[in-house]
Amino acid sequence: MKQQSMLAMILAGGRGSRLLDLTNKVAKPAVYYGGKYRIIDFPLSNCANSGIDVVGVLTQYESVLLNSYAAAGRRWGLDTKDSGVFVLPPREKADADLDVYRGTADAISQNIDFIDSYDPEYLLVLSGDHIYKMDYSKMLDFHKANDADATIAVIGVPMKEASRFGIMNADETGRIIEFEEKPEHPKSNLASMGIYIFNWKNLRKMLVADMKDPDSNHDFGKDIIPTLLADDKRLFAYQFKGYWKDVGTIDSLWEANMDLLDSKNELDLHDHTWKIYTEDASQLPQYIGPDADIDVAYITQGCQIEGSVKKSVLFTSSVVEAGAKVIDSVLMPGAVVEEGAVVTRALVADGVRIGKGAKVGSANSENITLVAKNVKEAE
Amino acid sequence: MCDALGIITSSANHLHVEGMQDYRPMGAFSFLGRYRIIDFPLSNMSNSGIENIQVYARENPRSLTEHLSNASSYNINSKRGKLQLLFADKNKANEIYNTDVEAFNQNLNIIERARQEYVVLAPSYMVYAQDFDALLSQHIASGADITLLYQHVNDAREKYLNLAYLNLNRQKGVESIATNRGTAKERNIFMDTYIMKKALFVDLIKKAMKVSSVFTLSRIINESLADLDVRGVAHRGYFAAASDFKSYFDANLDLLDFDQASALFDPNWPIYTVTTDSCPTQYFEGASIRRSMVANGSLIEGTVENSVLGRGVQIGKGAVIKNCVILAYAQIGDGVHLENQVVDKWAKVIHVDNLISDPEDPGYVKREDVL
Repeated sequence: MKQQSMLAMILAGGRGSRLLDLTNKVAKPAVYYGGKYRIIDFPLSNCANSGIDVVGVLTQYESVLLNSYAAAGRRWGLDTKDSGVFVLPPREKADADLDVYRGTADAISQNIDFIDSYDPEYLLVLSGDHIYKMDYSKMLDFHKANDADATIAVIGVPMKEASRFGIMNADETGRIIEFEEKPEHPKSNLASMGIYIFNWKNLRKMLVADMKDPDSNHDFGKDIIPTLLADDKRLFAYQFKGYWKDVGTIDSLWEANMDLLDSKNELDLHDHTWKIYTEDASQLPQYIGPDADIDVAYITQGCQIEGSVKKSVLFTSSVVEAGAKVIDSVLMPGAVVEEGAVVTRALVADGVRIGKGAKVGSANSENITLVAKNVKEAE
Repeated sequence: MCDALGIITSSANHLHVEGMQDYRPMGAFSFLGRYRIIDFPLSNMSNSGIENIQVYARENPRSLTEHLSNASSYNINSKRGKLQLLFADKNKANEIYNTDVEAFNQNLNIIERARQEYVVLAPSYMVYAQDFDALLSQHIASGADITLLYQHVNDAREKYLNLAYLNLNRQKGVESIATNRGTAKERNIFMDTYIMKKALFVDLIKKAMKVSSVFTLSRIINESLADLDVRGVAHRGYFAAASDFKSYFDANLDLLDFDQASALFDPNWPIYTVTTDSCPTQYFEGASIRRSMVANGSLIEGTVENSVLGRGVQIGKGAVIKNCVILAYAQIGDGVHLENQVVDKWAKVIHVDNLISDPEDPGYVKREDVL
């Protein structure tokens, strides 16, 4: 196989159980976002746009849909002679029984043979459930310039929220001197984005040792990074500026969608130089009916709008019938709001029908209402 | 699987769409925001199970070449199937030499080598949905030599001008193929769609070449009606021919009738096209939009009514767009008022306040032009 300078591995095995019914049948990276995308389109498109040719996708939880989705590398242009998206669920090997991925590091360890076959100098480890646009080639330049053993992408978070993240404390040159997982009294606001570049030879050695360590959690944050620091290795923080979101809950998924309505939103999906690629739907353009009323909305192909849509994000082929109202809400693919129904501050899951005249959600609710089952017509 | 070679023909040399055609062949015209007209015959063939498709390009093939560079966009098997773009050397001395027969003749060995027994010919500039596999079965069952597809219309006086029509006998036998000059209301408009055995098709090309350099396929068939069993089959459902500027404009706006559009776009008969990976369309505060089709990637701040917007179109604050076809990446400035216009790709209408034409004579803004 042709040697690759940097290989990417996307960790996509997590369930994301706080997304409730949305992740009953699909893993979190396959959850819909932004009108026409799935979350994993972001790291995959970033790889393609950064000139990374070979991407491994490590799947585990409810992986049937995700496996077939990610394997269609053509969507991201990763289907040339030297490129490809490889779906890597746990497997039985000649010298090892079938085992689950015991942690983020173990998922990489169990695929050392795959990585070795490309003989890369660097390994990029990514999370499959974050929404952001990033040029990994610039991060690699930074890694090389610092002669680093590992580089971790970080983003400034509000100090009062820093306790929720893994915080990197770095010196003035950017070298990481301390890593604290969810510290009670954070010393800095630089949160790890779960994006790592490692020198493969060195990481490989560590992973082999980690696999045999009975006390290890086999996790990058808990085991690998602390060990690197303890060994006085050169770890650097690569500071990312821009939009980045880890959508862990229904509220934050809703909020991330609402962010797109802001005309100055930082994610800027209109940017032609950094497109996010996704599944191609053979659907009509969006159809806006004669009595429709649209005010501040993000609407995609295949939608059919006859009613009123305010401050909402509508996914592929969702339908708003005459007299229906959709306010401050998200309609996932194929959701239908029938005549006269009203949807307020809600996230309607894919394929769900809101019956005639029914009302879901509330303008004053503390949390966003998730509607994952059909709602009957109002009496 | 449909045992036929698919051939998509370029427009005949007597048809011309003012303005638009200076930049691309009719088949590459943008249609209904996200399609090109050739997507319709290609999708019809692909959905019918035709695996080997030839597309004939006549002039300015750049946009067609780009659009058709990936057969898998049309769901055509990338190993067994084939999507071929064929060119014919253009005779510059006189346009009259550049017939469909001449183009077929220049590629005759490729046609003869195709392993399929039948040929299905469809034009690149007409919009309709048709199952060619069903049509081929009907053709074989009828025992006819050639089947021609037509649409019965009752507005042939004002529309479909210069297109051919079929004179049929009671048994649907074709008695003659003539040109619609708008002299009668009812006509069986010929959809330039043919089914016959490939061997007969090759014979007809050779025969036409012998008779005259100006002979087209429909002309040689018309001259051979005494010897051949040629029958018409009626197409039902939506049909439009983008054969002149007005009909191109009308065809786009006609499909704003959602029932008409639904009849053309059957979920079980998808119309494929090439994705540009545009993000969804964004509507800002103050936007107002009614009875329109909007492709992805657009930014809308103004008022849009009864219009078709292509991908990545920008409509400024306070702009008013009525009965317009705005092609991809065009930009309409703040406060500009447009009615009954076709605005070509990448054009900017920013320095004029009003551009209003009669609906019977819609206006045209040139590609990449700044008004």
